[in-house]
Amino acid sequence: MKKILIGVFALGLLSACGGANDENTQKQDTQKEQVVNVYTHRHYEPDQQIFKMFEEQTGIKVKVINASADELIQKMKMEGKQSPADVLITVDAGRLGRAKEQGLLQSIESEILEKTIPAYLQDGDNQWFSLTKRARIIAYALDRVKPEELSTYEDLVSEKWKGKILIRSSSNIYNQSLMASIIANDGEEASMDWAKGIVANMARTPKGSDRDQVKAVVAGEGDIAIVNSYYIGKMLNSPDAEEVEAAKKIGLFFPNQEGRGTHINVSGAGVAKYAPNKENAIRFIEFLISEEAQKIFTNANYEYPVLESVEPVQDIKAWGDFKEDDLELTKLGENNKKAVLIFDEAGWK
Amino acid sequence: MKQAGSNNKTFSLKSRLKRLKRDSNRWSVFTLAIVLFLALPIIFIGVELFSGPGETWSHIVKYLLPDYIWNSLYLVFFCSIIVLLLGVSSAWFVSRFDFPFRKQMEWLLILPLAIPSYIVGYAYAGMFDYGGSLELMLRAMNMDFVRIDIMNRAGLAFVLSISLFPYVYVSARAFFLNQANNLLEASKMLGVGERKTFFKLMLPLARPAIVAGLVLVLMEVLNDYGAAKYYGVNTFTTGIFRSWFSLEEPETAVYLSALLVVIIFALILFEKWQVRKIKFTTSKASSTQIQRRNPKKSLKALIFSIVFLPILLGFILPVGQLIYWATLTASTVFDMNFILISLQSFGIAITSALITVFFALLLIYFSKWSSLRFIKNIARIGVLGYAIPGAVIAIGIMIPTLALDKWLIEVLANFGIDSGLIINGTLIALFYAYAVRFLAVAYNPIDSTTLKIDDSIPDSSKVLGVGNFKTFFKIEFPLIKTGVFSAVILVFIDVMKELPLTLILKPYHIETLAVKAYEYASDEMVMEASIPSLFIIFTAMIPVIFLNKLLIKK
Repeated sequence: MKKILIGVFALGLLSACGGANDENTQKQDTQKEQVVNVYTHRHYEPDQQIFKMFEEQTGIKVKVINASADELIQKMKMEGKQSPADVLITVDAGRLGRAKEQGLLQSIESEILEKTIPAYLQDGDNQWFSLTKRARIIAYALDRVKPEELSTYEDLVSEKWKGKILIRSSSNIYNQSLMASIIANDGEEASMDWAKGIVANMARTPKGSDRDQVKAVVAGEGDIAIVNSYYIGKMLNSPDAEEVEAAKKIGLFFPNQEGRGTHINVSGAGVAKYAPNKENAIRFIEFLISEEAQKIFTNANYEYPVLESVEPVQDIKAWGDFKEDDLELTKLGENNKKAVLIFDEAGWK
Repeated sequence: MKQAGSNNKTFSLKSRLKRLKRDSNRWSVFTLAIVLFLALPIIFIGVELFSGPGETWSHIVKYLLPDYIWNSLYLVFFCSIIVLLLGVSSAWFVSRFDFPFRKQMEWLLILPLAIPSYIVGYAYAGMFDYGGSLELMLRAMNMDFVRIDIMNRAGLAFVLSISLFPYVYVSARAFFLNQANNLLEASKMLGVGERKTFFKLMLPLARPAIVAGLVLVLMEVLNDYGAAKYYGVNTFTTGIFRSWFSLEEPETAVYLSALLVVIIFALILFEKWQVRKIKFTTSKASSTQIQRRNPKKSLKALIFSIVFLPILLGFILPVGQLIYWATLTASTVFDMNFILISLQSFGIAITSALITVFFALLLIYFSKWSSLRFIKNIARIGVLGYAIPGAVIAIGIMIPTLALDKWLIEVLANFGIDSGLIINGTLIALFYAYAVRFLAVAYNPIDSTTLKIDDSIPDSSKVLGVGNFKTFFKIEFPLIKTGVFSAVILVFIDVMKELPLTLILKPYHIETLAVKAYEYASDEMVMEASIPSLFIIFTAMIPVIFLNKLLIKK
């Protein structure tokens, strides 16, 4: 028995030390090898494809740490000047704004980034830039709702939607951004009334993911769901035939087309304040908005590209063009905390 | 009178100090050093209690806390009942009776632990969902589908219980297997019936072991985030993350965690105090294994179904759902890299399991050899890491390790060496973090087995002049072996599925299966997450089966 035990221990130690040795050789290699260290909240498979393409084209190795944006920001803050992070990628503008506020990002000069990305999709001080866009749309049951009945986010609090609205928890960043945009557009007081109105019209207590809201519409638990556009694209291409069927039974409505436009949120990137590989970091972000990378973002992840020359993938294009709310994205970050306080007070779980 | 009283007090304080000086030995010092080393991150979090919460505190108290506390209590209450029923009954039946497939079920009962509870949550939601597997099956049989909504508080209590009951099963079984035999014999000789023997004798005696398992379950229930979030149930831990992520106040999050730690520490001490009041020492750990009864056929069938139920709910059904999803997504997700990642995960998990168990043994025995009684209670501070959400512990770990790193950088700079971070972002920090986080998982099962060893055996050995270490290896280790092996299995499984710490602290080149699963699941690609999850389960099966064999073997 002792022998077996020793064997197990040796095996464990070996594999761990294997890792440690790796570490050492890698450290030596970094002297020669070009790297870019990426802290990212985007955990999408297609991203890895893009990173690989970047490595092949530039010879710069992409090293990734995946975690939620808040955890990554905390990590960068604690690491301070020693932080190995070169690039921070988040799935909302608010977190980038927060990172900027805490002095974790730096202004960079890049003609490519400044010129190709529309002004409202980048930070005024060149500290962060949007990579992709998603629209927060209304998914409705084709058999129960006529699109004419829908108009704006604000209209969803009216009596006719009582017990019909499905939306996920207020801890979700996409809902927080939506609320932040409503605060920016309508003011705090109106926002509180809006939150209370939505809570009163909810079909059930918020739970599950965006996909679950869509499925609940099809199952008849409610008639409309507020969700992100790219999830519908993913459902339409799901390996599960039932999900594809479900996605076909709903229609897509872009709210507020007569007025300010549909709320969008973005995923974006910034260069870290103490980036040890600043040049590589800039090249990396520039690559993310290159035509080939943008094509993968939309083709494989069903997001809207920020590069105007790239067409959205067919599934998305089929929903038609829409007017975007071109509210300055920095406002979303500024209003985020207010949004959460309002959610709590309105009883939006 | 008053004067005299206070004099008396100072006198007793003085004499206490004297006794302290007399009784403290090097083991007390060693214990304190290890506790300090392992509890440092927890102490950093605990200190936040004094600096107070952030400015949204009153908002949190007014709008969130009542609901969060109520939900947490609900979960603690119902999960306790369910895991006790499932864990103790299955442990008793597999130890006491012979029935078909008993041997296989012995280790199958541990495996529900290998599935991360948020994945179990997804799997059950997937079964009862619109277009879920239950509906598909019923449709195939031309039956109508009545949707059962499992995504609520009761559903969450169910999901957490069936994925966590093995903690109770493992520690209860360790007791029944090795400690119970001569008591059973005695009870039989006295003509006491089976039922009475169990309820009046075995259950009270097994209490420290059962509670040790239950404490682990409750700590995990309290710090669960993934499953609770998905099921829309706001718990105390939801509050921690809401104040950190949404209200932008990390200090409030740490404050709430510190509160949680204090509550749990109080509970642990209370239980220890209760057990001490009863203070039973079983005469000695039996050296003979329990004699299994061979019941009637009808009884066998009944026992079989009772033991099979938790396996069905906690393992077969969720794994079945995962396999179904895996068949849908294998073509896009699977590649040979998974084998490599599995090996890496395995190596990390087994190494940290051994390190953690080693520290637990040091703590338990050093505090035992120290003749100061309060040292033992101080040693327990070390186990609190398990109650704190991993993401928060990560902060606690980064504070001291980064401070050390920055100091090292300055020192090395004097020698003209530009070192960068030496500890953070390497395996050292990760192993340290796992030891801090999972000490309880190793400590509790071992501690509860040592409790039942009659101190007179090692004592007499020491009287004969045999040293502490030799006594330990020759006499005590063979007796607590079951506890130690159980601890290795449990920590191994926990590290395999650990997430937040791994995400935040892992070196760049290390990939684990849990991280892989999370990358998919966090983006609502639950089906794609099934393949890494299945790999976690299969990798975890290897040591479970292997160590279980060692457990049963004499």
